[in-house]
Amino acid sequence: MKSKETYWSENLRLIFICLAIWFTVSFGFGLLLVEPLNEIRLGGYKLGFWFAQQGSIYSFLALIFWYGAKMNKLDKKYHVKD
Amino acid sequence: MNRHLKIAFMVAPFLVVLGYIGADFHHENEAAKTKIVQLVPEGHCDIINQSCVLKSGDFKVEISDENGITGINSTFPLDSATLFLVDKHDQMTPYPLGMQKSPYYWRSNTELHSLIGQKGDSYKLRLIAKIKGGQYISEFYTQTIK
Repeated sequence: MKSKETYWSENLRLIFICLAIWFTVSFGFGLLLVEPLNEIRLGGYKLGFWFAQQGSIYSFLALIFWYGAKMNKLDKKYHVKD
Repeated sequence: MNRHLKIAFMVAPFLVVLGYIGADFHHENEAAKTKIVQLVPEGHCDIINQSCVLKSGDFKVEISDENGITGINSTFPLDSATLFLVDKHDQMTPYPLGMQKSPYYWRSNTELHSLIGQKGDSYKLRLIAKIKGGQYISEFYTQTIK
């Protein structure tokens, strides 16, 4: 029972980390901090603009795979099967 | 693909839509705030010879006068535009401009042509151009060079 609760709390922790990164990348970098980030150039593009257009999407995809990998490890740690 | 990845891929589109709604809400709030932006002349300003452009970033306003009709042409649509002629004693005469066909073109009859029709004449003007959520203002001189 305790192991189930710990598994769930670790899962929730991962979800909150993912949501925090999702918010930082999409709203933070793409909207709230867009002006200061636009001072930096990435391959000729303004960084704030790049985050709003492409960077956030790449980050979301990376987050999905990172979450999947972390949950796999968690499954093994707590001997959870599909 | 394990079940966690499947769930993450199913949740992601909802987060994207949520992000889109949030961004739209944020932009609408920003646009609702009244901003005052100063326009500066781009080079020499000569309204009588159709050579006067005020700018701030991507926003540009071209001011010209033809036979006593002073008009402006802007890069973004305006809600209203008022031109002020400022005399030597700093007294302003306002000329609210009327829209012509589209909100990019505004004009009005003014005294400008009779005041600075000769070569070398100059005059102080002020412009207030209202746009959704903001005001573009400028104080500048026009000088007739031809």
